[in-house]
Amino acid sequence: MNEKDQKAYLEQYKKDKEKGVPFYPDILFKDAVVSLLVFLGLVALAYFIGAPLEERANPSDTSYTPKPEWYFLFLFQLLKYFPGELEVVAVVLIPTVAILLLFLLPFLDRSPRRHFLDRPWITALVIGSVAGILFLSVQSVRETPPPSEAGQGDPVAALYTENCAACHGGTISIPEGTNLHDVIAQGTHEGMPAWSGDLTSDEIDALAGFILSPGGNALFQEFCSACHVSSELVASDPIELKAALDEGRDYPPHAESQIPKWDEVITPQKRTALLNFLVAPDGQRLFATNCAQCHGRSVSYSGGEEELRDLISQGGLHLEMPPWRETLDAHQLDVLAQYISDPASAEGGDVLFGQFCSSCHGDRIPKIENVDQAREKIASGGAHETMPVWGDVLTSEQLDALVSYTLEAAQGAPLEVGQELFAQNCAICHGDFGEGGTNPARPDDVIAPISSAEYLKTRDDDTLFQIISQGQPNFGMSPFGSAFGGPLDDDQVKTLVAFIRSWEANPPVELPPAVDTRAVKLSADEIYAQLCTQCHGYDGLGLIGPSLRDPDFRANNTAQDIFETITQGHEATPMIRWGDLLSEDTILDLTDYILSLEISAASAQPQPTPGFSSFAEDVLPIFEAKCVPCHGSMGGWDAASYDAVMTTGDNAPTVIPNDVRNSILAQKITGEQTYGNIMPPAGKMTNAEIQLILDWIAAGAPDN
Amino acid sequence: MITRVTNWLDERIGWRNVWEAIFLRKIPKVNWFYTLGSATLFTAINQAVTGILLTIYYAPTPDHAYDSVQYITTQIPMGWLIRGLHHWGASAMVVLTVLHMLRVILLGAYKYPREVTWFSGVFLLLVVVGFGFTGYLLPWDQKAYWGSTVGTRIAGSAPLIGDWILRVMRGGAELSAVTLARFFGVHVWVLPASLILLLAIHMYLVIKIGISATPGREEKA
Repeated sequence: MNEKDQKAYLEQYKKDKEKGVPFYPDILFKDAVVSLLVFLGLVALAYFIGAPLEERANPSDTSYTPKPEWYFLFLFQLLKYFPGELEVVAVVLIPTVAILLLFLLPFLDRSPRRHFLDRPWITALVIGSVAGILFLSVQSVRETPPPSEAGQGDPVAALYTENCAACHGGTISIPEGTNLHDVIAQGTHEGMPAWSGDLTSDEIDALAGFILSPGGNALFQEFCSACHVSSELVASDPIELKAALDEGRDYPPHAESQIPKWDEVITPQKRTALLNFLVAPDGQRLFATNCAQCHGRSVSYSGGEEELRDLISQGGLHLEMPPWRETLDAHQLDVLAQYISDPASAEGGDVLFGQFCSSCHGDRIPKIENVDQAREKIASGGAHETMPVWGDVLTSEQLDALVSYTLEAAQGAPLEVGQELFAQNCAICHGDFGEGGTNPARPDDVIAPISSAEYLKTRDDDTLFQIISQGQPNFGMSPFGSAFGGPLDDDQVKTLVAFIRSWEANPPVELPPAVDTRAVKLSADEIYAQLCTQCHGYDGLGLIGPSLRDPDFRANNTAQDIFETITQGHEATPMIRWGDLLSEDTILDLTDYILSLEISAASAQPQPTPGFSSFAEDVLPIFEAKCVPCHGSMGGWDAASYDAVMTTGDNAPTVIPNDVRNSILAQKITGEQTYGNIMPPAGKMTNAEIQLILDWIAAGAPDN
Repeated sequence: MITRVTNWLDERIGWRNVWEAIFLRKIPKVNWFYTLGSATLFTAINQAVTGILLTIYYAPTPDHAYDSVQYITTQIPMGWLIRGLHHWGASAMVVLTVLHMLRVILLGAYKYPREVTWFSGVFLLLVVVGFGFTGYLLPWDQKAYWGSTVGTRIAGSAPLIGDWILRVMRGGAELSAVTLARFFGVHVWVLPASLILLLAIHMYLVIKIGISATPGREEKA
C-alpha cells in the first residue's frame, strides 16, 4: 500500500464516518445485545451443565486417559501425525510458524484491497486453517477410545487398548534391545507412569509380547485361542512352548486334541513371533523361569557377552553325566532306559528316575530316540545336556534379552541380597533403617544414624568396606569380614556396602524413629541379646562362635575362663576385647548369664540313630545319587568319597562332626541356609534321606 | 442540582471530553460481526469478576485445591453460578477471540493504519491461550492433573530448551505443588496484568483510530 492508497483510505474512512452513527447509543446498543446474549448463554450453560469436576487428582491412577481442554485438542491430535523425532515439527515448528504468520500478516498482505473476495489467497488460507483445526479436533475426539471399548475374547488387546492406546495409538515401534518389561513396569519418560502398581507381572509381560509382536497376538487368536482362553494361561516355560509347537499332536498335553502339525502350518517366522509373544523377550523373566531353578537369583559370571551367549545357547553340552553302569546294575539300567523312552511302560522307572536323575533333570524326562539309545546314554554318561541347549529353544530375541540380563545381574548382587544381609547382621545395632540407637556395647554412647546424608556423603565405599570387614572394636563393633574372622566374605561385604550406599539415592522410606539417647543400664540378658547373639546365637547354641551350652565347652571353661575370654577377646575372630568397652561388673553379669544357660542335651549324649549304621552303606549312596552327578563335574564340594566329603568345598569344611547346626551340608539339605542355592536344585531330598545324613553328622560323621 | 454536580466534576476532571471522545464519536455503519470484539471484552470482564470471586475461597495447594473447588461449587450461595460462568466463560472467550480475529482477517481490518492494533490483538490471543492452559490445572481433578501432565510434557519435548521449559513450567521434574502454585500465580497475576496492559493499548487504538468500515468490493479497473 503506497502513500496514495493510504491517503485515499483515510479520506474514504472519513466519509464513512460522517455517514455513520454515534457510538452511543447505536453501536453500544448492538454490543450490549450481543454481550447480553453471550451472558445468558453462559448462565444457561452454568445452570444446565455446570462446571464439571472429576475425581480428585490421583497421580498414581495411571488408568486415566489424559485429555487437554477442547481448544488444545487439535494440537494434541497433530502430534499423532508426527511421531518420534518428527514430534518437534508439531510441537515447535507448526505453532511457531503459525504465530509468526499471524504477526507478519500486515506485512505479507500489503495490498489496499480489503474485501475477502478480493484477497483469495488470504481467504483460502484462513478457511483452510479453520477447516484443518476443526478436522483435527473432530478426529481427536473420534480417536480417543472410550474406556469401555475393551475388546472381547482378546484380553491382551483389551489391556493394550485400556492402558496404552490413548497415548500410543495402535502400535508402538520399539528400538532393538529395549527391556520393554522394565519400561512398562517402571515407566521411563515423562507422562508415562509406572504400570507395575496396576498391572501384574504377567499382564506386563503379555503387554510386552503384544507390543513387540502384534502379529503374535493375531497368530495366537488364529491358532491357539480355540483351546487357550488367554495367552497368559499358556505355559511360560519356553521349552514346553517350543516342544508344543514343534511336536504338534505328538506333544503329550496336546495328544487329545485334533490339531495340525504346527511346523507344517505355521512358517518359522510366525512361530518365532508366536514364541516371542507368549514368552516376551524379557531377560529377567526368562532368567526366573528358566535359570533360577538351578542358578538361584543370579550367576557369577565375568566373561564376555559373546561367550555367555555361546554358553547359554549351547547349554550344558560341557557337563558330564556320570557313567551309571558303575553304580547301577543291568536290571536298573534296563528299567531306567525303558522308562525314559516310554514313561508309561516301565514299572519302577519313576522311582529310579527320581532317585538318580531328577536331581539334575528335575521332572523333565529327557527326549531320546529309542530304548537302546537311552540305555547307552545312561550307561556311559559323559558329555551330556544337563543344561538345556537353549539355542534350540529360545528365539534370538529371547536369547538376547537373557544374555543382557544375565550380564547385568552378574555385575553385582541385587540390592535385596544386601538388604537381607543388613537385616541379619547390622540391623540389631544400627536399626532396620540404619537409624542407630543406644550403643549396647557402651551404655553411655549412642550409635549415630548411618543412613543419614551426612554420614553417607562423608564416607566412600572403601571406607565403608573397611569399617564392615574390620569392625570398630573401640566402639563395640565386631569385624564382619572373613579376613578378620567375621562371617561375611568380601563379596557379601561389597553387597552390604552397595545396599547402604543405595540409601543415599533412596533414603529409607520410613523416617528413622526418634532415637532414645538416654544412657540405659542394660541387664545381662539384654546385653547378651544385642552383642553376643550375632555369633553365639539367640539360644546360645552357637553360630559362627562356639555353642555356649555345649557340655564340652562348659567342661573346659570355668567362670574365670569365660570372664577372661570376654574381657580379652580372641585374636583373629570377631570376639573383640570387650573389656575395653564393658565394665567389669557387666562382664561378671554376662558370665553369670552364660553359666545360667542350660547345658544342651542334644550333643551331651549323641543319640544312637536307628536309621544310620554305616557311612559307606547308608550315606554315601545318597551322596552319589543326589550330589555327585552335578558336583562331580561342576567342582566345589566333592561328595564322591569320605575324605572328599570332609575336606573339599568352597566353604570347607562342609561337615563338622557332632555339630549339625553348623554343618553347611546340613543347612543346605534342610533348606535352612538360604544364601545361594538350595540343594539339590531339583528339590528337597526325602525326609528319611535328610534325617539319615543329619544323624550321621550328629554321630560324629564316622567313616565306617 | 445534578447539573451543578456534573459541572463541578467536569471542571475538575474533564469527563465530558472523555465522554465525547469515547461515546459520542462517530462510527461508520457496520454489521453485527463488528460486535465480536466487544463481546470478547465482555467475556474478559466476566472472567475477571468471577475469577476474583473464585479466589476468595480457592486454595492453590494440592491438599486443598480440589476441596475448595468442591466447596465453592456445592456450599457457597451462587458458587455454582460463579464457577459455571468462569468455566464456560473461558471457552466462550477463546471462541469469541478467534471469531473476532477471523472477522478482522477476512475484512482486512489489520491493514493500514491499524497494524499495531493487530499486533496487540495477536498478543491478546496468546494471553487468552495462556489463561486456558494455566486455568485447566487449578481444579486439581483428574482431568486437570493428567491434562496438564501431558500438556507440559508436550511443551517439554521441544529441542534443546524443552527440558528447561518443562522444569520451569512444573517447577521440577514432576507435576507437583510447585506446579500448581506457579500455574495459579501466572493465572491470577501475570496473565491478568498482561491482559490489562494489552487491552488498554488495544482499546486506546480502537478508539483513537476508529473501528474499520465494512469494506466494499474493489472496483474492477
